[in-house]
Amino acid sequence: MSAERITRREMLKRLVIAPVGAAVLTTLEVRQASAATMQPYYAPYFVAVLWEGRTRCDSLWRSLKGDVVPVLPTVQGTTPYDRLYWTGYALGSAPVNVAMRVWARAVDHNGVPLGSGWRAIGQAAIQTPPLRWFRVEIPEGHWDEYRIEVRSAIPRLVYSRVIASQGYWKE
Amino acid sequence: MPVRFLRNASEIADVSWETPLPVQVANAKPVPADTLLVATTTVDTTANRDLLGSTSTELPTLDGCMQYRKLVWFYFRASADATNYRVLARATDHNGAPLGTGWQEIVPATTLPGGANTHNRIDIPASSDGYYDQYRIEVQRTAGSNYNLISKIVGVR
Repeated sequence: MSAERITRREMLKRLVIAPVGAAVLTTLEVRQASAATMQPYYAPYFVAVLWEGRTRCDSLWRSLKGDVVPVLPTVQGTTPYDRLYWTGYALGSAPVNVAMRVWARAVDHNGVPLGSGWRAIGQAAIQTPPLRWFRVEIPEGHWDEYRIEVRSAIPRLVYSRVIASQGYWKE
Repeated sequence: MPVRFLRNASEIADVSWETPLPVQVANAKPVPADTLLVATTTVDTTANRDLLGSTSTELPTLDGCMQYRKLVWFYFRASADATNYRVLARATDHNGAPLGTGWQEIVPATTLPGGANTHNRIDIPASSDGYYDQYRIEVQRTAGSNYNLISKIVGVR
């Protein structure tokens, strides 16, 4: 953790907004994400960070965690959340062309999947200039486990996080 | 570039496990989802058989569901043999007794989606809100052979 005290004037001078890039849409909507990185609240929903890390993408379909084992989930315990977001950026100076796909399944009380395989939720192609943020919304929530896979013809390092949001009601 | 946020009005902090992004909605609490049922049903040609295997048409599959805006029915079907499902619902009084006999059919006999050995999902109701007290979910095979249907139903407030 790092922190520093600055004046408001200094803060305004140093405020940096990440450059914004567009992305090609397929079945999942990809949105510009720069404004979201500077907001302290993701109102009006409760938000949880399910995973954060770096993924080395190559020509194989890999989970964000790096594995190529199809039965392993990327995130678990996601029943309460009505939508997920995958947001991040690809390192490197070349244009980005990363394919992603999302799978989901339900589990029983013991955490065992109801059956083999997964349900395909959707896919998207992240195509941006280098060092641009992207965000993919996964609108189908309440599954227990998700597997998010990525692939790139040119090896890339993607730094990203998976965020899930819950609905809320006013007390 | 790390993600940063403004803390205490004058301090920029990196987002990390020790200093997560502050996410808060004033005077509100999160909406949880509850697992209401996990069951395995042998799907056969018997009419009016619900997910718990009962053919007693007055018995609910789920009770006490008034607080849920919708139910999400996850299922894994072992076969693609033609199957219909239907969803019945009704309200009850303070004692839990139905307001009257019978049910409201909120989903008529409909083909159960999905192929063999697939995960599937049906929202109940598909649109608008639920808030019924009791639901009865029936399945009936119309062709082929008996197979297992593994279901999980989650209530979402």
